[in-house]
Amino acid sequence: MVLLRSVPPPTEGVRHEQGETTAVLDGKGLGTGTLYVAETRLSWFDGSGMGFSLEYPTISLHAISRDLSAYPQEHLYVMVNAKLNDEMQENAHDDEEDEDEEDDCEGITEIRFVPSDKAALESMFSAMCECQALHPDPDDEDSNGDFDGDEYDVEEAEAEHGQGDIPSFCTYEEGVSGLRAEGQATLQRLEGMLAQSVANTFHMAGVRTDETNGEFDDGVEVDAGSTVAGQFEDADIDH
Amino acid sequence: MCPLCGWDVLVSYLICGTLHSVDQYLNIKLTDISVTDPEKYPHMLSVKNCFIRGSVVRYVQLPADEVDTQLLQDAARKEALQQKQ
Repeated sequence: MVLLRSVPPPTEGVRHEQGETTAVLDGKGLGTGTLYVAETRLSWFDGSGMGFSLEYPTISLHAISRDLSAYPQEHLYVMVNAKLNDEMQENAHDDEEDEDEEDDCEGITEIRFVPSDKAALESMFSAMCECQALHPDPDDEDSNGDFDGDEYDVEEAEAEHGQGDIPSFCTYEEGVSGLRAEGQATLQRLEGMLAQSVANTFHMAGVRTDETNGEFDDGVEVDAGSTVAGQFEDADIDH
Repeated sequence: MCPLCGWDVLVSYLICGTLHSVDQYLNIKLTDISVTDPEKYPHMLSVKNCFIRGSVVRYVQLPADEVDTQLLQDAARKEALQQKQ
């Protein structure tokens, strides 16, 4: 995420352009400028050409805020799954208590785009929805292919991740980062179980084989070499 | 996933709302949202509708009594198996 640096506004694939839009970043007003909802990224620039860009994969959530009692103007609310760097971070900490920010809100930034034309909010929101759909997370796409040859046991995964009532991750931000570690740990365990009973199909699967091989050192005992061939080779296991 | 639209869901233990729509990437549009912990997330109080990026969704809780969980699990397994091939 580029912050307040002089970069040219996008010229191609601009789904929506909204002038006279004030940007408020973690409570700090940045002035009035133009919001560009482009297919490649979300950008905002003030009159002098300074501005910032956001990559869609970093935008966790966006919404239209119309409740004037909560915020004095209708605006487009954007939650970025990243903490600002440089000068903006200091200001953000000034606005919030440091402890709360770091413990509970680790790594998020709130941005409000306040257009002078409130009627444009729906178009701004829709344009962002469309552009978000153009940037699916690459990890998600891999995970679809990862389970080729592996059985993704939903029940086991659910039992490991959290039993509903007792979530391991209480906060939204922790969950995002925590999922990867625990998700991988669960995957390692499943792979370990399968490796003992399934033949080479495990190793040939697209389950981030390079990473998982390295992660066997985490204590997951996997006898990659000792497979019981023939026992579960044809398994499309239906529980 | 279309049959789920219109149901109340809880996303990642944080945001409760009515499922407006969802796409193949699990991008979720919620309407009439409420935040489970307004004190922790006061900035969301003024929002009624939102779009949540699918990649950051941790859990989606559906009303159990309105969902045929067995059917859902079977469908999910079938889809996973199909993607293997």
